Order: sequence, then C-alpha cells, then structure tokens
Amino acid sequence: MSHKILVVDDDNALREMVGIVLESEGFRVAFHDAGSGALDRFTEEAPDLVLLDVMLPGKTGIEVCREIRAVSGTPIIMLTAKTESDDVVLGLEAGADDYVVKPFDPGVLTARIRARLRPIGSASDEGTVKIGPLTLDIEGHEVRRGAEKISLTPLEFSLLLALAQKPNLVFSRAMLLEKVWGYRHNDDTRLVNVHVQRLRSKIEDDPDNPKIVTTVRGVGYKAGQG
Amino acid sequence: MRFRGVASWAIGLLRRSLQARAVFSTVVISGLSLALVGGFLSYSIGGGLFSTRQAQVLAESERAVVEVQNTFASSSVSNEVALQTLMNTIVPSIESTGTTNSRRVALLRSPGQTAVQVLQSPISADLDTSVIPADLRAKVRVSTGKLLYQSVAIPVAGSEHPGIVVGAPVQIPLAGNYELYLVFDLNSEQQTLDFVQRTLVFGGLALLLIIGAISFFVTDWLVRPVRLAAEVSEQLAEGALDRRLPERGEDILAVLARSFNKMAQSLQSQITQLASLSKMQQRFVSDVSHELRTPLTTIKLAGDMIFAGRETLSPPVKRSAELMHDQIERFETLLNDLLEISRYDAGAVTADLEMQDLNGVVGMAIAGIEPLAMSKGSEIRIDIPQGPVDAEMDGRRIERLLRNLLANAIEHGEGKPIHVAVGASESAVAVTVTDEGVGMSRAEVDRVFDRFWRADPARKRTTGGTGLGLAISLEDTHLHDGWLQVWAKPNEGASFRLTLPRRKGMVFTQSPLPLPPKKAKNRGDA
Repeated sequence: MSHKILVVDDDNALREMVGIVLESEGFRVAFHDAGSGALDRFTEEAPDLVLLDVMLPGKTGIEVCREIRAVSGTPIIMLTAKTESDDVVLGLEAGADDYVVKPFDPGVLTARIRARLRPIGSASDEGTVKIGPLTLDIEGHEVRRGAEKISLTPLEFSLLLALAQKPNLVFSRAMLLEKVWGYRHNDDTRLVNVHVQRLRSKIEDDPDNPKIVTTVRGVGYKAGQG
Repeated sequence: MRFRGVASWAIGLLRRSLQARAVFSTVVISGLSLALVGGFLSYSIGGGLFSTRQAQVLAESERAVVEVQNTFASSSVSNEVALQTLMNTIVPSIESTGTTNSRRVALLRSPGQTAVQVLQSPISADLDTSVIPADLRAKVRVSTGKLLYQSVAIPVAGSEHPGIVVGAPVQIPLAGNYELYLVFDLNSEQQTLDFVQRTLVFGGLALLLIIGAISFFVTDWLVRPVRLAAEVSEQLAEGALDRRLPERGEDILAVLARSFNKMAQSLQSQITQLASLSKMQQRFVSDVSHELRTPLTTIKLAGDMIFAGRETLSPPVKRSAELMHDQIERFETLLNDLLEISRYDAGAVTADLEMQDLNGVVGMAIAGIEPLAMSKGSEIRIDIPQGPVDAEMDGRRIERLLRNLLANAIEHGEGKPIHVAVGASESAVAVTVTDEGVGMSRAEVDRVFDRFWRADPARKRTTGGTGLGLAISLEDTHLHDGWLQVWAKPNEGASFRLTLPRRKGMVFTQSPLPLPPKKAKNRGDA
C-alpha cells in the first residue's frame, strides 16, 4: 500500500497543488488548513509523513510540530519561506526531521519525502549493534539501555545506527547528510547539529558532556570516546 | 636628549592647545614690555642718582679747595717744618668735613718743577694714588683753578666701586705747585641702584607670573565652551546623536551653544527619519520577497507539472510551457537576489568562514557554469598555481560570486575565450575573470556595481541575469574584507579581480594578481 502524507498548509492553492504533485507520484494525500486541530487530524489520519507549513493560523507550525513529536516519531518535513532566520532551527529543535524552502521543485519535494520514508538500514542489516551501554535492534527499530527502552524517532534511530555501525570512524557532517538525509551537495550543518543535540538529550546521561556520540572538533561526529 | 624631549613636548602642546598658545604669547609680550619699562626705569633712576651725587661732590670739592687755598694764603709759616705740619693738618680736616666720610684726599706735588721736593705729600691713609688718572692730572696741572673731575673705578678689597676724582691746582708758598685731589666713593649710590634694579627684576618676574596666571584663567574661561563644543561635535560625529551643549546666559558663547544645539537637533531628526525610512523600506522588500514565495511555489509546481507533460501538448502550447518554465526560474532567482540584498541592507548577513582551497572553489564555480559556456561557445582557460591556495572564506558565497563573474564574462564575451587566473601572496589570494568581449567605457565601469544597472539597455539580453548579481558580489566581497575591482576597455574586454585576505583581519595592500591582467595586454602579440 502506498504511503499516506498529511499536508498542513493554509494556502488553498499551494495545498491543492502539492496534493496534485504527490498523487501523481503515487502517494495518498490528506489535508488540513490550520494550526489548530492539526494534531487531531494527525491522529485521525495516522499518516506516514507530515508536510507542515511554518506560518499557520491558530497555531504556528513549530507548535504543531512539538505536539506531534510528543505523541509520535512520524517523519515531519517543514515548509518554510525563510532560509536564514531562526524558523529553520526552531522547527528542527521542535522535532522536524527536515525542511524544504519555498519555492521548491516538485522533484526536490518528492526526493526529500522518499528519503524520509526509506526503510532504515539496508536489507543485509540484521541482528543487533552495541554501542557503549546501548543495544540497537535493527529490525525492531529499538534502542535499549539494559532493560530500559529508549524511544527514538526513525531519523534519530538511523542517525545513531549510522554512527554505531562504524564505531570510532569520524563522520563529517556532509557524510551524515548524505547517509541519513539522502542529501548530496548540501552543506546545511544545522540539520546535523540540531539532530545530534536531540539524540544526545535522549541517550546520554549528561548531554552537555557526551560519551556515546562525541564531537570531533573541526571534522564531525563519531560514536564512542577518544 | 632630555631637553629635546621637553622642547618637542612644549611645541606639541603649543600646536595642540589654543589656550597654551594664548597664555604663551601673553606672557612673552608682557615680559618684553616689562623688560623695556624696567630698563628705562633703572636707567633713569641710575642717572638721577649719579647726577645728584655729582652736584653734591662738586659743591663739596669747591668748598674744600677754597678752604685749602685760603689756609695756605692766610698762613704765615716761614720754615719748612711748620709748612709740613700745616700740610699734614689739611688732609684730615678735608676728610672729616662734608656729608659723607667716604672721601679720600691727596695733595700731590706737580712733577716737572725745578726746586727739589723737601716736603712730603699728605695722602689719606687708605688711598691708592694710582686711581687718579694720569690724564686728569695733566689737565689739572694746566688748568686755571677750575675744578676738573672724572669717573673712575676704585678697587676695594677685590671688587671695584664707582667713584669720582675731583682735582684742582693749589699754590703753596715755599713749596711750589701742588694738586689737590678728592676721591669720592659712590658705592652707597651703586648699592641703592642695585637694590632698585633687584626690586624691579623681582617685581617684574612676579608681575609676569601674575599675568600668566590671569591669562591662563581668562583664556580657560573663554576656551572651555569652545573645547566642550569640540568634544560634543566629536561625539555627535561618532554617532551619539543626543549629545547637546549647555545653554547659559546671553553672551556670544550662549549663542554659539544654542545654534550648535539647533544644528545637532535637526541633524538627529533627519538621521532618525532617514534610518526609519530605510528600515521600513528594507522590511518592505524583505516582506514582499517572503510573501511572494508561497504563490510562486504553487506557480512553480504547476509550471513543472505542465512542463513535464509538454510532449502531449500542441506545439504553441508546448512552447508556452517551456517559456513559462524558464521565466519562473528567472523570477525565483530575482526574488532570491532581492531577498539577499535586503538582508545585506539590514546588516543581517554574517560570513560562515572556513579555511578552503580557492582552486577548489574556482573549479566548482567553473563546473557549475560549464553548460552555459558550452552553449555560448566560450572556452574557459584556466591558469592556477600548483597546490592548494588556502584562505579563510565562506565557500558558498565565493562560489556564487565567481559563478556570477563567469556568467557575466560569458554573456559579454561574444564567444571568445574566457581567462581565469588564481594567485596568492603571504597575506592575500586573488582570482581574475577576464573576457575578450565588448568591454565597457569608463562611465560604464563606474556604474557596473549599481543595482539593476545594465551596461547597454539597447543590447539584447540572453542569459537573463537579475541585475543584482554584481551588487551582491560586491557585498559578499565586503563581508570578507576583500576587494572586487574591475578593468574594462571598449571592444577589448573586461576583467574582474577578487582579492581576499588569507585570514580574516589580515591586512593586505596589494593584490597577488595584476589588473588589467598580463594576458589582456599581450593578447595583441599572441
């Protein structure tokens, strides 16, 4: 069955046009036109991915994003008109997986959506990966610290998995962007930085003094210490 | 060394401080006037003292001479012993009479007489007869009884006192021609004069000090408002637009303060007005750019859908779809450029600096522009140094800037080769992008970085630039503290040179590459 995508945007023409593009690419589409009520619509439709405009009447996209994240790890892609302002960082910090800047190509939009809907890990990956005190169950998309289960979004899981599968290899931000987000030739380091912060806040004992995902100054990140 | 230091400090102070100059010239001029007045006073007091004393001396001498002559004339001594006794009483008697006891007496026998001298010449005990000048003696000898005098210096215990010697001839019976000399010591007058002069000098110095102090306080009182005005205008110039001068009283300084404040007030209101207008305009451009983005997204998505399905359309509709597709792209670029320039205008741009190889950035820019160059038949020739040319830069912006320069070169290069050169020095790196196309006139070069300016409005545009490219490039360059310079000549081509510091804050005075580039000069020979 094809993936279902919830489009939340107050601009009627754009909402309909995005719907046409996505349907022509074989997605099923549901719509909502305001910030208020977006969460109800989300639980009702149970989509596989949410396209969320930042500027919405009622509630802002940032607030909606935070509400959805509180109940679900479903991928969220923000639609934003501003590239440099705080909107992007705020959206990412609220839990959005990715963002697309208006005006966007239909090709770019569908590529971003497909990257987020892609199954985590390749077919040959199976079993478990251990990193520090954590155990990653690849098939079950689960992370455990001893017996305690840690809840990660799919994006956070694939970010941790990418690092954990090659412990002590230093990943540059561009490498992570390609491996986890599916970007080529994109140097928006904010995406990586914000998500590493979110991941750390969930898995590290002390997020300010990380032990599992460490920063290599001037290069990038790696799993494990030293 | 030390003196020179003090002197140069003093000269510096005089040059810097209006007040120091005023005080200095007042003191100098007063000092000269005081010296003049003091000199005149000293001279006239000295002269007065001397002439009074001289009159007194002459009167006394006259009396003494008459007395001596009378004494001898009325004496009836008959032998030499009695005469000697008489002569010996004369000197003490003259010494003791008169107002001062500061005179010495000598009764000397005139030389050149035939009779043998048998009598001793009586002389005051402490008188050295050598103070009596020989020429005075000669004059006395031939005088007819008139008093003769001369000023002399009397040696006294190592120093000399001023004095007057008065002489007159005296006839002594039995003894022959004698000369009577009275030597007056004028030391007390000299001391009085010295005292007066000392008093004048000290008084003058004290007066000079007082004048200096007064001129210091007066000029300070006058200069202080001016100095305050200078300080306040300095602060105004530095941007503290709310600084004002205190307005007190009704005098000329109060008028100055009031008009100064009026000027500052109108300056402030105009600047704030301009600033708010310009802020509003920036906001407007930014808002418009943002507001246009949502409808543009819909148009773009729709246009792409139509463009993707263009093969199913009739030829005119298909062509329309293609044109629309291209123009939507152009519209988007224009919108992005507008937004970028409005962000620069609002001062909201910061560079994302990283050490990067300029060669690599140039390579990426060329790779990005290659399809356009191919379509116009322009060959891009590269002259880059071996090895990396590292500099601190915002790679994304510099690549965009170079792509923009290359696009310009291709558009105006008329299909002739385009030369790209990279150079480096200790403190700077540089790229030149040179075409051999239509070039520009002097006036056109001056306007080339203006927004929406087109080199030749009549010329057909083909690549559809936004007209903001070079303006943004210049802003990008300023963001790096670099230079973006242009050389052009009609029908010979144009060359743009970008120079960036190796690291932020590094100072460079010369670009590693020449402008116009060497190739452009030698092209005629090649």
